[in-house]
Amino acid sequence: MRSEPDLAPVLASPAEETALPSQRMRALQRFLRNPGAVVGAGVLGFWLVVAVISPFLVPYDPTDTVGLARQAPSAEFWFGTDTLGRDVFSRVLVGSQISLQLGLISIGLGAVPGVTMGLVAGYFGGLTDAVISRFVDALLAFPSILLALVIIAALGPNLQNVMIAVGIGTVPLYARLVRGSVLAVKQLPYVEAARVVGNPAWRIMFRHVLANAYAPIVVLSTLQVGNAILIGSGLSFLGLGAQPPTPEWGLMSAEGRDVLRRAWWISTFPGVAILSVVVACNLVGDGLRSALDPRMRVDG
Amino acid sequence: MGRYIANRLAQLIPVLFLISVIVFGILHALPGDPAELILQGAEGGAPPERLRELKTQMGLDDPLIVQYLRFAGGALVGDLGESIRFRTSVTGLILDRLWYTVELALAGLLVALLIGVPLGMIAAVRQNSWVDTLAMSVAYVGASMPVFWFGLILILTFSFTFSWFPPAGADGLISLVLPAITLGFVSAGLISRLVRSSMIEVLGEDYIRTSRAKGMSERLVLWRHGFRNALIPVVTMVGLTFGGMLAGAVVTETVFSRPGLGRLVVSAILTKDYPLVQGCVLFLAVLYLSVNLVVDILYAWLDPRIRYAK
Repeated sequence: MRSEPDLAPVLASPAEETALPSQRMRALQRFLRNPGAVVGAGVLGFWLVVAVISPFLVPYDPTDTVGLARQAPSAEFWFGTDTLGRDVFSRVLVGSQISLQLGLISIGLGAVPGVTMGLVAGYFGGLTDAVISRFVDALLAFPSILLALVIIAALGPNLQNVMIAVGIGTVPLYARLVRGSVLAVKQLPYVEAARVVGNPAWRIMFRHVLANAYAPIVVLSTLQVGNAILIGSGLSFLGLGAQPPTPEWGLMSAEGRDVLRRAWWISTFPGVAILSVVVACNLVGDGLRSALDPRMRVDG
Repeated sequence: MGRYIANRLAQLIPVLFLISVIVFGILHALPGDPAELILQGAEGGAPPERLRELKTQMGLDDPLIVQYLRFAGGALVGDLGESIRFRTSVTGLILDRLWYTVELALAGLLVALLIGVPLGMIAAVRQNSWVDTLAMSVAYVGASMPVFWFGLILILTFSFTFSWFPPAGADGLISLVLPAITLGFVSAGLISRLVRSSMIEVLGEDYIRTSRAKGMSERLVLWRHGFRNALIPVVTMVGLTFGGMLAGAVVTETVFSRPGLGRLVVSAILTKDYPLVQGCVLFLAVLYLSVNLVVDILYAWLDPRIRYAK
């Protein structure tokens, strides 16, 4: 299910140009004082580096048979070999590329339309707002996994469609969040001033309103990257996402399921990888939430 | 109270309408022709006359609006069409498996509350101690856990290593234990965090200070005044958690090879059984909305402030 991050719309004061760096510095300091957030950032950084350099780093080709099937972890194969004799360690490392892409791309696919819808609804109000808000409410009333399942049923099971499905599931979250932020800053004098000097609506929305509502968007995105990886790997586990021989973590867990009793390592290591990435995303997201705006409630 | 219920029911109608449009719209308006997909699965190429025949048979030649009205009209009287693969009524297929999923969701909810509530309470009472840190770390890991993986680990430990519980199937309560823990533990993380913050808030209230000041024992303060008030927000969480249970059931039923709606919908997607996918998803959405409606009504009954606020 979708978690409900408690993100109160920020009423960030439009700080003067000179005050911005110090405000950011203070946020950074708050972030660095939070041990959980630092650990999370470290783990996430580790996986990012692995994702980039793993093709040059892994001992074996992740899709090649390099030994006997179902060999237990050893000095030669650190995480053992899978049912087809492929090296699980290499597959887990290279798999980080897929999971991080899945998280980032699906969030991008959700954030762009979601933020736009929220901006338009909040800024124009009236009938536009009513129509968009009803639509968003209907999507929110619908467990996102069901929406994802329908979309995959329509488009066909593959990794790309999982990204689309998971991304669409986050659209209403962004729309609701941004709409709230827009309503909070819309009446402030600096927005009024931007309007009076003749800026077009789109410019006010993106340059002035959105620029002051970025903090909760960043926090939501970080938390949702973890969530997207969780849902995406679950769909791949079910056979509705990545297809063999892709080294996707959820799919790898599924491939080990039938031989779990004899070869526990095939399913176990990819799962540990998913868990570590998702915990890291949540730690960083929560850390950002309390660092960017102490007024945002930290529980959640 | 009656007016509140009537209001909530009235709010449900547009949501149901929109959901039916969304489900129908996605399955029918997106590229990909169900008739073509079905024939593609059967043979290499689809002979055009067979395709036309199937389209007519499935009513795919009619305008979309006619197709929608047929679907929505049928759904209103409980007719969700016919499954392509099973060649029987979708409603019947759903009802055959409904209890397995409900049973699993209820057991999962029970586990979630049994783990989540005490964990959150302990963390709140011992705020900022190592107990708090430990409890919240457990909650954190729980909330970040891939459901399918946790299920596999439980099978590995309690079915294969200790042989305490069966690794698969749906024979009696014993086979429900591991799936329920799998499903419940993930939600327990969210519940415990909510209980903790709610309890901390309640413990800061004036009436708690008053109770302590008049010499009431700490245990009585915590249980009679703290616990009961802290649980109110948890009630709303139960409805949302149930949504999580339905989502988790899709995965859990596959991990433990249990029959149920989740597995039905997954197999329907994999076999391109569109009417079955459509029917299952609509049914699950209505089930989720109904549970949340009941929870909201319960909440309003528990806390009169909600009734009058709206």
